[in-house]
Amino acid sequence: MLFMIPKKRELKVRKAILRGVYEDNLRIIGKNPVILAGRAPVFFKKMFLFFSITLLSILVNGNYLKLPLFPEKQTTASLITQRPSSLPAEKPVKPSDYAAFLGGKEMPLSRMFGLEVKTIMIDPGHGGSDSGTTGTMGTKEKDITLDIAKKLRERLRKYGRYNILITREQDTTLPLNQRVELARSSRADLFISIHLNYLPSKPINIIETYYFGPSADDKTLRLAEQENAGSHYGLSDFKEIIGKIGETLKLQESKEFAASIQKNLFLNSKKQNANVYNFGVKRAPFIVLLGVDVPAVLAEVSCLSNREEEIELNTESHRENIARYLEAGILDYLNKGEVSYEAKRSSGRR
Amino acid sequence: MKQKEAQGEGNILFVGIDLGTSRSSISASNNTREWIESYVGWPKDFISLQVVGKPVLFGAEALKNRLSLDLCRPLEHGVIKEGIEKSEEAVKEIIKHLIELAKPQPEQKIYAVVGVPADTLKVNKLAIRKAVSEFAHSLMVVSEPFAVAYGMNLLNNSLVIDIGAGTTDLCIMHGTIPSEEDQKTILTAGDYIDEQLYSYLTEKYPNSKFNKNMVRQFKEQYSFVREISEDIRVEIPVDGKPVMHDIKNEVKRACESILPALVETTTEMIARFDPEFQVKIKNNIVLAGGGSLIRGLREYLQNALKEYGPCNVTCVEDPLFSGSNGALKLAQDMPAKYWEPL
Ligand SMILES: Nc1ncnc2c1ncn2[C@@H]1O[C@H](COP(=O)(O)OP(=O)(O)OP(=O)(O)O)[C@@H](O)[C@H]1O
Ligand SMILES: [Mg+2]
Ligand SMILES: [Zn+2]
Repeated sequence: MLFMIPKKRELKVRKAILRGVYEDNLRIIGKNPVILAGRAPVFFKKMFLFFSITLLSILVNGNYLKLPLFPEKQTTASLITQRPSSLPAEKPVKPSDYAAFLGGKEMPLSRMFGLEVKTIMIDPGHGGSDSGTTGTMGTKEKDITLDIAKKLRERLRKYGRYNILITREQDTTLPLNQRVELARSSRADLFISIHLNYLPSKPINIIETYYFGPSADDKTLRLAEQENAGSHYGLSDFKEIIGKIGETLKLQESKEFAASIQKNLFLNSKKQNANVYNFGVKRAPFIVLLGVDVPAVLAEVSCLSNREEEIELNTESHRENIARYLEAGILDYLNKGEVSYEAKRSSGRR
Repeated sequence: MKQKEAQGEGNILFVGIDLGTSRSSISASNNTREWIESYVGWPKDFISLQVVGKPVLFGAEALKNRLSLDLCRPLEHGVIKEGIEKSEEAVKEIIKHLIELAKPQPEQKIYAVVGVPADTLKVNKLAIRKAVSEFAHSLMVVSEPFAVAYGMNLLNNSLVIDIGAGTTDLCIMHGTIPSEEDQKTILTAGDYIDEQLYSYLTEKYPNSKFNKNMVRQFKEQYSFVREISEDIRVEIPVDGKPVMHDIKNEVKRACESILPALVETTTEMIARFDPEFQVKIKNNIVLAGGGSLIRGLREYLQNALKEYGPCNVTCVEDPLFSGSNGALKLAQDMPAKYWEPL
């Protein structure tokens, strides 16, 4: 009898484990075995951040937006959809395709000042105990962003001209302030943070790109609240933000950089999937963009709440494509105003 | 766990597959055990096809003919990679080939459990399912160290450390299917040792000619940490003539390069548990994967972890098949109702 008891317990354990394997696999193929645990544990922490950000946006909206630098109307779908299918089939969209859209020949300021971009820092959103958003089939934002970031790194490395850094190499927890610190200490010249969106109420796939700035839009603030969760910044830190916003060179550059990323991401993604929506370039108070002193953007490259998109994100080719579009966006930004650019690129590519 | 008899075991072939970065193996309920190196090669052109005489080659044979082939090691660094469609295709070919090696009867249904490196599972589970589904009637994917643990009946209070080629996967079992926190992957494993050894040897013998493959063979033959009494000398060509080289120190340094991360991660993972469980887990640590063959590694780890109380580290008996055997056991134990037709 003494012998029987552990035996029985072991059987029970074994049964539970086998069931676990089964349920896990159901989830992989998108059948929901049981209701997954809810997604609202860090509610209070997030609430605090949300209020801080709201407060900030009110504070800032008052005085700062008087500057003519940011027209409140954002770049949105209307312009891009005017030229939908005139695009070449295979290669990423060429800069000329939307040169008009970008506002023409103006040169990035960094170039005007003779600054050269040498170090690019890629930041895969979330990681470790912070999964970011999770799709219904269990796909985690942190895993997808890491994979895309690594693919992007490989692509950019091939040029041999840039030093490509990544904030995290593995599935590790990395607070936002440490990411900022990394970008600063490694003297990155360009910073891109990669994320996935989640729109619980609408099952659509959207793409949007952010640069740092105040926002009055509710949805944007909620997103910022999500993406900022896990940072150790408090209300007092936001005071500093306002001071920092004065760095208009960085902001203007970031805006151009964001536009370039958004255009490449959206126009190219649209060719693969007609059901993707362009939510344009926006400002949002993302902490990760704030502390970085160089042009910095946060791209929501895809949307995990969309079922088809979640399946796609699980394919290697789709993630590689996203990396490819980001690569094109970065290069377009870097090479804007350079006449020989197109020729260069076609020879640099297989 | 004998439900399967009811549905007539004769019509079902259970297979466990370990899909690895460097080697993949299959264990089947008809008692076949087979493994191949995870290389797939397709003839580059018509002439190469004539030369090699087959549309696709695997493992050692593919490596041998690599000049005529488009060679792909699809799971490098634990993730389906490079060439994308090509590597997805390569995974498919490996699975197909392994299942053929298991020699199923024509009318037999194949129920497969596939173990993959824990990191691969995160973003590639659908791709892997897709690759396998053409060749199986029903299938499940699990993480590799979990399959090892299950196969060895280490269901509770144990830690499996699977030192493979691309990754070292750690997995703590505590009576349930391991959650994400129970699993950790570090990128220092066999391939990393190879890279280190290669660079140490290039540094020490700049005029000698060796390649990555030779270096890996040296490692597999002589790997050790800490001390051994024997000398390690190998023949390497210099200006076309074979010359003996002393590589003992380099082999040691390269093998030891994985130790710090290994000890740190192990300690970290155990520390998350209550002291009572820590003791139990520490007496139940199992090394698996090709890296577990490094001489002295078991003793080193046991010593390094002893600092905080007693500890027992063992090695799996058969690192080549411990993953696929575990996957097979999972397949055979799985209640019939959980096998869904694809
Ligand atoms: N005697 C040995 N000493 C040291 N390393 C060895 C030895 N034998 C094999 N290896 C190494 O073990 C690795 C292969 O182990 P294994 O088959 O467990 O890996 P894998 O499952 O293919 O990889 P992964 O689990 O990362 O996907 C290779 O790097 C190989 O060189
Ligand atoms: Mg393995
Ligand atoms: Zn995010």
